[in-house]
Formats: sequence, structure tokens, C-alpha cells
Amino acid sequence: MIGTLAQIDYLASAGRTPWHRASALGKLILALATLMVAVLAPSLRLLIALHALVWALVLTSRLPARLVAAAAGYPLLFSALFVASQWDGTWQTPLRLGLRPLTASLVAVWLVGTTPYPDLFAPLARALPRSAGDGLFLTYRALFALLARSERLWRALRLRGGMSGSARRRLALAGEGLGTLVVHGFERSQRLYATMLLRGHSGRICGCRHYAEWSRADLWVLLAGATLAGLGLTFWRTP
Amino acid sequence: MSHLHIPDGVLPVWLWASGLVASLLLLVRASVMARGGSPQRIAYQGALGGLMLAAMAVPLGPMEYHLTLAGPVGVLLGGAGAFQVTFIVSAILALMGHGGLTVVGLNALVLGSGAAVANRAYGILAIRLRPAPALAIGTAAGQMVAGALWLVVVLIAMRLEPGAVFHGRLDGRLGVFVAVVAPLWLLGVVVESLVAFGLGRFLARVGPGLLPRAPAAAASGEAT
Repeated sequence: MIGTLAQIDYLASAGRTPWHRASALGKLILALATLMVAVLAPSLRLLIALHALVWALVLTSRLPARLVAAAAGYPLLFSALFVASQWDGTWQTPLRLGLRPLTASLVAVWLVGTTPYPDLFAPLARALPRSAGDGLFLTYRALFALLARSERLWRALRLRGGMSGSARRRLALAGEGLGTLVVHGFERSQRLYATMLLRGHSGRICGCRHYAEWSRADLWVLLAGATLAGLGLTFWRTP
Repeated sequence: MSHLHIPDGVLPVWLWASGLVASLLLLVRASVMARGGSPQRIAYQGALGGLMLAAMAVPLGPMEYHLTLAGPVGVLLGGAGAFQVTFIVSAILALMGHGGLTVVGLNALVLGSGAAVANRAYGILAIRLRPAPALAIGTAAGQMVAGALWLVVVLIAMRLEPGAVFHGRLDGRLGVFVAVVAPLWLLGVVVESLVAFGLGRFLARVGPGLLPRAPAAAASGEAT
């Protein structure tokens, strides 16, 4: 999962498609609207049309096929369990239960794959309570700061025999290893706080203000939104 | 077994919507309780949130099984702080396609309840026990509660009757499901507790000040 996360993080910043240039706020609204239609739509035709729209978004954003396949495969794996439990003998039920999560996960990967995380988190942080909004940025940053350290830790554990012996011993040693990361996290938070004070921290991490800067690329988002609305109006009441 | 991997569009709307509303209300409540806390505290919460995400990235077996660290994080941060962390972690995971976006609220509630129970249990146990066993038993208690909530949500999603499990009426699909899930649940309790034991043992030695109560360490400090 972490490899995927790092890849998405890189693609979101390095991509050169109109979707990458469009504002984060517009894409966020479009993604949430698509998600709501996918989850609530009673019509199978609407779901199929919506799915086609989302594929168009994903394919035109030039995300790697492997990443898209991973995003598509993950919900299908877990949906299979629910399809099996709810199957009524018709082909419509599994199709509906498969299309909903697939459409939702594809639109999520389109959003995070075309939007750098400061732009994506900035509007979300404004909608959340202050400490939770700040925590969003700090948690994401802390994850990448911890990754290299945790990889070195597991390697050292293996080399020094920490992964041999009984399962009980190995798990307890893994816990001790995580303890070093907790202590490191605490010390890092002290340094981070000192840095924030030095840089004139005002009491809130605001993120950048680019998330609502509109450009010509937003016309594509507007077009996709209009298509979504048109699909909803046309197919909502169909079977 | 205490983190929902349920994708979007599977759960009934009333369930995920009420979960989302309840978790947002709790998030506001937790933020009010944290008001006046220093940004250093938020940075520490962020560090432990990053640790939770890193732990969740390491698969330990079939069906994407992984650690959650909800119990230790609950003990280290308290119920309110841990709930904020679990909400943020669930939101980041959902954005990466690891569980549905609509399930963020339920995930935060399930993980947050495990963290809160672990915190309460540790508070009681740490008076009599050393930090490592107290953290391990507290984590086990939290993991069992979170696992039970997880089971209820999954059974509702599968259109099965959760009440039948707790009344011992296990027949048909329900019986098969419980037969598969129960051993994984117990395995999760054992694995998380053993890891928490190691974590508690290390922190008691190296950073006892990070634990909310460390009577053994305090007593030895007084003795010297």
C-alpha cells in the first residue's frame, strides 16, 4: 500500500494533463457528486453510464495501468463477499454491487492521482475541526518521514535475529521496534513544533491557497460535471 | 479484524450516513476537548497516526490482514486524541482506495471504540500491573470490542442478522461466516496484544513519561 501511496503522491505532482492543472476544489466537488450518484443511483443504466464516464476521467488522466488495476481490483475482491451473500439469482444484482464500489474507487484514484496532497487536504481541513484539519497534514507528512526509518528497523530486526524464534517472541520484539518509532515520533513532534514556532505558526496549518484557483482547465471539470448531471436527469428513473 | 475494508455502495445508506454523522459529532467533541492543547500535541498525534498507517501497510496474512495499533494509540493519546487520529487515518486510507469513502465514519467509530476501551482498561490495570501486561490486556479488551462492532457492521452489510450470533443461532451462511471470521478475530486479539506487550515493555524502560501511568517505573524511581 505504501508503494502505491508514494506513486500516487508523485503522479499527482508530476502529471501534465488538464486534470492536473484544474483546481482541487472543482475536482473534489465532482468526485463527491460522482460518489453520491454511484452509491444512491437506483438505475442500472445510470450506473453503467456513470462507470463509462469515470473510465473516461481515469484514462484521460494518464495514470499507470497497474495503479488503475490495483484501484479497481481491491474493491472487487471485497465486493465478491457481499455479492455472494446477497445474490438473488439475477445478473443485475452482482452487476450493481460490482459497479458501485468500482466506480467509487476509480473516481477516488482519479482525484488523488491528479491532485497534490496539500491542495487536496486544504479544502478538507477547512471543513473539519481545527485540530483534525491540522492532523490531516501532519499525519500524511509523518507517514513518509517514518517510512525509511521503519524499513531500516525491520531490516535490522531481521539481520540481528529478531525474526527468528517463536511467534510470541517475534511479535513482542516487533512491538519493541514500534516502541522506538513512538519515541522517535515524540522527539520529532518536539522538533516540528519548534520549527513551526520559528516559521511564525499562527495556530493553524492552512495548506496552500491554490486549491480554489480556477483556470481554463476547469472547463473540463465543468464539462464532466454537466455530463454527470445530464446522465442523472436522463437515467435516474430508468430500470 | 477491527478495520472495515468494505467498499462504497455495499452498506445501507442509513448505516454509513449515521456512522458518518456520529463520527463527525464525536470529532467536534474531541476537538473541543483538545482546545488549548499545544501544536506539539497535534504533531505527536500526527506522528502516531503516521505510525498507524505504516503498521497497516504491512500485511500479516490472508484477506489483507494487518496490525491497527488502535489499542496502544488509545493508551498513549487518550480516547479523544485517539479518535481524531483514527478518523484521519481512516480518511487517508479511504482516499487511497483502502476501504470506501462512505465508510470513513464507521471505520473511525470501530477503531476509535477499540482505542477508548483500551485506554480505560489500561487506566484500571496500570494501578496493579506493570505497563507491558497492562498495555497488552488493555489492547486485547479494545480489540475485542472493536472486533464485535466490526462483526455487527459486516453482518448488516451481508443482510444477515447480527443478533443471531450473540444468541448462538449459527446456521447456514451465518454459521460459515462466523466459522471463518472467529479464528481470525481471536488471532487479531493475540497478535495485537503481543505487539502491545513489546511496545509497553520498551516504553516502560526507555520513555516511561510517554505512558499515561507507569506505577512500576515510578516506584523504582522513588526507591533509587
